[in-house]
Amino acid sequence: MQELGGISNVLEPTKLNLLEEDQLISGLRAQDRKTIEYLYDKYSAALFAVISRIITDKDIAEEVFHDAFIKITRKIDSYSEEKGRLYTWMANICRNAAIDKTRSKEFSKSSKTNTIDEYVYGIESESGTQEIVDGIGVRDLLHRLNEEQKFVIDCIYFKGYTHSEIAEEFDIPLGTVKSRIRSAVSVLKKNLERI
Amino acid sequence: MDIQAYISSGKLELYVLGELSEREREEVVRLAKRYPEIKEELVQIELAMEAFDQKAAVKPSLSVKNRIFDTLDAVEKEEKSQGTKAKQVIPPTMEMPQAAPVSAETPVVKLQPWKAYAAAASLVAVVASVFAIYFATQYYDVENRFTALLQEQSVLAESAEQYKVNFEETSTQLETLLAGNFSRIPMKGEPFEIQKEAQVDVWWDAEREQVFISVNQLAALDAEQDYQLWAIGDDGPVGIGLVNAEQKFSLQQMNAVAQAGAFAITIEPKGGSASPTLENLVVIGQPAA
Repeated sequence: MQELGGISNVLEPTKLNLLEEDQLISGLRAQDRKTIEYLYDKYSAALFAVISRIITDKDIAEEVFHDAFIKITRKIDSYSEEKGRLYTWMANICRNAAIDKTRSKEFSKSSKTNTIDEYVYGIESESGTQEIVDGIGVRDLLHRLNEEQKFVIDCIYFKGYTHSEIAEEFDIPLGTVKSRIRSAVSVLKKNLERI
Repeated sequence: MDIQAYISSGKLELYVLGELSEREREEVVRLAKRYPEIKEELVQIELAMEAFDQKAAVKPSLSVKNRIFDTLDAVEKEEKSQGTKAKQVIPPTMEMPQAAPVSAETPVVKLQPWKAYAAAASLVAVVASVFAIYFATQYYDVENRFTALLQEQSVLAESAEQYKVNFEETSTQLETLLAGNFSRIPMKGEPFEIQKEAQVDVWWDAEREQVFISVNQLAALDAEQDYQLWAIGDDGPVGIGLVNAEQKFSLQQMNAVAQAGAFAITIEPKGGSASPTLENLVVIGQPAA
């Protein structure tokens, strides 16, 4: 136990929540198993949410998440702090994996679509099958978006569109899409502080 | 650069969503390093998106965790059996003998990029210096030419102004001559010894009492002398102005004269005299009766 060094000491149960991002990153770079477990415990639910918003089929979503999480641990060397926070990098890997999946040939169209409303009401009705940490807070949050903001969040978070696909498919100028995304994110930002 | 406009363009949100091109991503990273406001906004967006995902978190089945760690075990086992390369990435948990090569290798790994950066940096510095000297030379050259052009321009403006004044003057004189009722009184130097070739014309409008002269031929004087024009009337000669001998074939306005039987020019001391020095009489002429 002594030889495991600083990382494992931090992982003592009482200090579990105190693991700082830079320690987390260096532990991941060292492929330290306890750091990977800590990462899983802390982030798996958020990262799985990124995928399961886009892919409603739970089995497929879990399969995609499995592959994405392995990729995160194995490709940690391609992450660098100057690009942004670790979580952002991980969430992008998950989101891209989900988007790739919805575009693959074997993915049937019926299991693809999801919307904010389905998601929000799905949270209520399926609360037994999928454990959502704070479903009511999220529903509240999404209802604070106006129609335009809801639309872009719907496309990006729930349908896996990129911003340029939104512009193209719905014939909205790119700059308008961008500013709607920005205003939607700022609404989320403001209200997240409240709930 | 307008940082607020950049922030509100929505680009940073797209960056966090991972939707920018390679080139745009590099731009955001570069600007975030340079402008703390951009960095701060970026972090705020990242935190908001992370917080949203945490709020909306959905736990995957327990079996997923088991499968993931089984896969990791399998991958690691495979790497171990493949030997050396994998061991380098699995560091401090190993026993001492294997930790040694890792630490021995560290400086090599660190040094090489350092050297490469240093070489690249000095190359960049040399290239930058060459460019700096080149552009400095260009700059001074251009500045000199610019100054020369400015001078040339002011000379041109000055002479244009001069032409304008001359033109207006001439035009006024022409107007005066055409409008008035002037008679020409030639004054000649023939009767006198001083300047036989001298010839000056007086233009006189007796009604309006206006007098002009135009020099046709008049020798230059030294600096202490002036030509003075006299109108000789019933009250004797009256000095009505100094004549500029160098200003030929143009009208020089003299003082007003209502009545004169003759006009004459004498050489007088600088500034003119109250009465003419008769022995210095140069030209004389009489109005036609």
